[in-house]
Amino acid sequence: MQAVAADHVTKRFDTVVAVSGLDLHVEQGAVFGLLGPNGAGKTTSLRMIMNILVPDEGTIQVLGQPASERTQDLIGYLPEERGLYNKMKVREVLVFLGALKGLSEAEADARVRVWLERLGLGEWSEKRVSDLSKGMQQKVQFIAAVVHQPPLLILDEPFTGLDPVNATLIKDIMLDLREKGATIILSTHRMEQVEMMCDAICLVNHGRAVLAGDLRAIKKSYGKNTVRIEYTGDSNFLDLPELVEKLNHFGAVVEVKLRPGADPQEILKAAVARGVRLTRFELMEPPLNDIFIEKVSEAHA
Amino acid sequence: MRKIWLVIKREYLTRVRARGFILSTVGLPLLSVGLFALTLALASRKTDHPLKISIVDNLGGLTAEIQKGLQEKLPDGRPRFQLVSTWDRPAPADMVHEKLTRLVRDGQLDGFLEIPKGVLTGEDAAFRTLNTQDFQTTRVITRAVNNAIIARRLNDRGMHIDDLDDILHRVNLNLVKVTKGGEAEENGQSALVQLSIVMILYVTLLVYGVMTMRSVLEEKTTRVVEILASSVRPVYLLTGKILGVAAVGLTQYLIWTTTAALISTYGAAVGATLRPGASPLNLHLPVSYLIYPVIFFMAGYFLYASIYASIGAMVSSEEELQQVQMPVTLALVACFVLYPIIQRAPNSHLAIFLTMVPIFSPILMVFRITVQTPPFWQIVLSLAICAGTTVVVIRIAAKIYRVGILMYGKRPSLMELLRWLRYT
Repeated sequence: MQAVAADHVTKRFDTVVAVSGLDLHVEQGAVFGLLGPNGAGKTTSLRMIMNILVPDEGTIQVLGQPASERTQDLIGYLPEERGLYNKMKVREVLVFLGALKGLSEAEADARVRVWLERLGLGEWSEKRVSDLSKGMQQKVQFIAAVVHQPPLLILDEPFTGLDPVNATLIKDIMLDLREKGATIILSTHRMEQVEMMCDAICLVNHGRAVLAGDLRAIKKSYGKNTVRIEYTGDSNFLDLPELVEKLNHFGAVVEVKLRPGADPQEILKAAVARGVRLTRFELMEPPLNDIFIEKVSEAHA
Repeated sequence: MRKIWLVIKREYLTRVRARGFILSTVGLPLLSVGLFALTLALASRKTDHPLKISIVDNLGGLTAEIQKGLQEKLPDGRPRFQLVSTWDRPAPADMVHEKLTRLVRDGQLDGFLEIPKGVLTGEDAAFRTLNTQDFQTTRVITRAVNNAIIARRLNDRGMHIDDLDDILHRVNLNLVKVTKGGEAEENGQSALVQLSIVMILYVTLLVYGVMTMRSVLEEKTTRVVEILASSVRPVYLLTGKILGVAAVGLTQYLIWTTTAALISTYGAAVGATLRPGASPLNLHLPVSYLIYPVIFFMAGYFLYASIYASIGAMVSSEEELQQVQMPVTLALVACFVLYPIIQRAPNSHLAIFLTMVPIFSPILMVFRITVQTPPFWQIVLSLAICAGTTVVVIRIAAKIYRVGILMYGKRPSLMELLRWLRYT
C-alpha cells in the first residue's frame, strides 16, 4: 500500500490546465519531495490529494482509499500561506482545528497542551494568536498539522521564516514522526533540504511529472560528472571549454560540470600549472539544484 | 455533521464573547430601560420639599384666588407651596419688600410674589427668589397669578370664571384603530413602535449579513480557510458559519424581545408607581409584534447572509468588499424608501407585491403586519417565497464559496462567476 497513489490526474480551470496526466506515487514511511517551479501545479496537486479539489480525470488513492472526506482526517497539512484566527486564543484555535480532524475536544485539548510545551509555547497557550511573533505563529501552525497524529503529513515550505534553532526543532520532530511511521510530503524550493531529507522526489513542470523516483538512484544515473573545487587565486584556470560544460560559481567555491568523457585529472593539472591553491577537490554527483534547473529549462527550450 | 457543529460552536462562541456583542445586546436594552426609568424618576421629583413663599398683594383681594392656583401637591403628598405670610395692600410697602428680601437672602423664605397696583392694566408681577431656574415652580405661579387676574377681570364684567371654562372647553379627536381583536386607542405610540421594528430589522439584517461576509473574508485573508478546507467540506463550512452567526442574532433577539415583553407587561405598572396620578402609559405590545419580526428576521437573514457570504468569498480585500456589497446593502436601504407606500395603503396591489418580493419582504411584510395585518395566507406566501428563494440562493452561494475561498487576486467577472458554478 502506498501513502499516495495518483494516476493520470488532470485538473483544468477554465482554459488553464493546472495538472495534466500527473502520476505521483509516495511510498509509506518516506520523506517525499514534491518539487517544481512556481505555477507548476504543485499546490493544485496537493489540494487534490487532500480532497479540497476533485480531479477532472484520473484517480487518487490515499493510504489505500480513494481520496474523500474520510481520507481528509488522515492528512495533516501545513499550507505555504500561513495564517490563523488572529483574535482567538492559541489553545482554542488548535483544539478547534484538532477537533475538525476528528479528535474529541478533550483529546485535542490534552494533545495541544503537550505540543505547546514541546515547542516552547506553553506560556502562550492562553494568549491571542495576534500577540505571537511570526516564528511562534508558524510553530503553532505546525502543531495544527500534526496534532491529530496523521499518518500522512503534507508540509509546504515548513522552514521559511524560522530561525536555525526553530528550523532544527521542526526538522527533528519531522524525523521523529517519520520514525513513528508517518509519511511526509515536503514541498519546497530549497534543494539542499530536499537533498538532505528526502528519500524520493517528483519534479513537476507544467502539470506533469518530469522526473520521479528514488533520489539516490536519480543522482546516480547522472554519474559523478561534477567537480566541486575550493580555491584561492585566479579562476581562469577553468577556461577549458573542451573539458567543462558548465560552471557554477559561489565565490570561493565553484562547481564544474564535466563534458561526457572528460578526465577531472586534467582540471587538477591546469590548476597546479596556473599556481592556484586548492583546499578542496571533490568528484561528485550533480547537485539536485542543477538537475532541477536542467530539467525545467529543457522543458522551456 | 459533527464538523458542522464544531464550526457553528466556534462561530457562536467567539462572537458572543466579543465585547461589542455584549455591549450592544445587554447594553442597549439596559440603556433604554435606564433612560426610561430616569425620565420617570426625574419627572416625578420636581422639588423635594414644600416651598415657603409669601404673597404681597398691592392691588388687594387677589391673594385668595392666587392661593387656589397653588394647591398642587408633591409626589409624597405634602403641599408644594407653604404660604408663610400674605400682605394685602401693606401700608409701608417698601419696608415689607425689604424685610421679605432679607428673609429670602437668609434662606428663611424660598421666595415672594409681588403683585403691583397696576396689575390689571398691564403692569408686571414679580417673583423674587434665589433660584430663578426652577421652571416648574415658575410655571405654576405664573398660571396661578394669571388665573387670578382673569377671574378678577371677568368678575368686573359680571361673569364667573367657571362660565369661561365651560365656554372654552376643547374637544379632543380620538384615533381608534380597528383591529381583529377589537379596538385599541391610538395615541401615536404605535407608529413609533412600527418604525422601531423596521429599524431594528434593517440594522440586524445588515449587521448579521455583513458579519457573515466579514467572517468569510477573514478566513480567506488569514488563509485559515486552506486548513479548514482540508478538514471540512466547504458547504459544511458555509452552513456552519451561517447557522453560527444566526445563533448569535437569535440570542440577541431573544434578549431584546424578552426585555420588550417585560417592559410591555410591567412598564406601565412601574411608571404608575413612579408617577402616581400621571396618565397611564400605553406600553402594551401585541404578541405578533414580538413573534413576526423574529420569524421574518430568520428568513431574511438566511437570504441575505448567503448573498453576503458569497460576496465575502469573491473578493480578496476589505476595499473590494465595500464596492461589491453596495447593491445588496442598497436593497435593504430601499425598504426605507418603500415603507411609506405600505403605510398609506397597506392593501394596495403595490403593497402586496412589495411584501412578496423576497429581498424586501423580511422588512416590509413585518411593517405591513404592524400597520394592518394582512390575510394570513399572504403572510405564509411571503414567507414561502422568501424561503424558496433562499434555498436557491444558498445553493449558488455554496458553489461560489467553494471556488472563491481558494481564489486570490483579481475579482471574478460575472462570466467567470457563472463558470465557477460549473466547477466540480
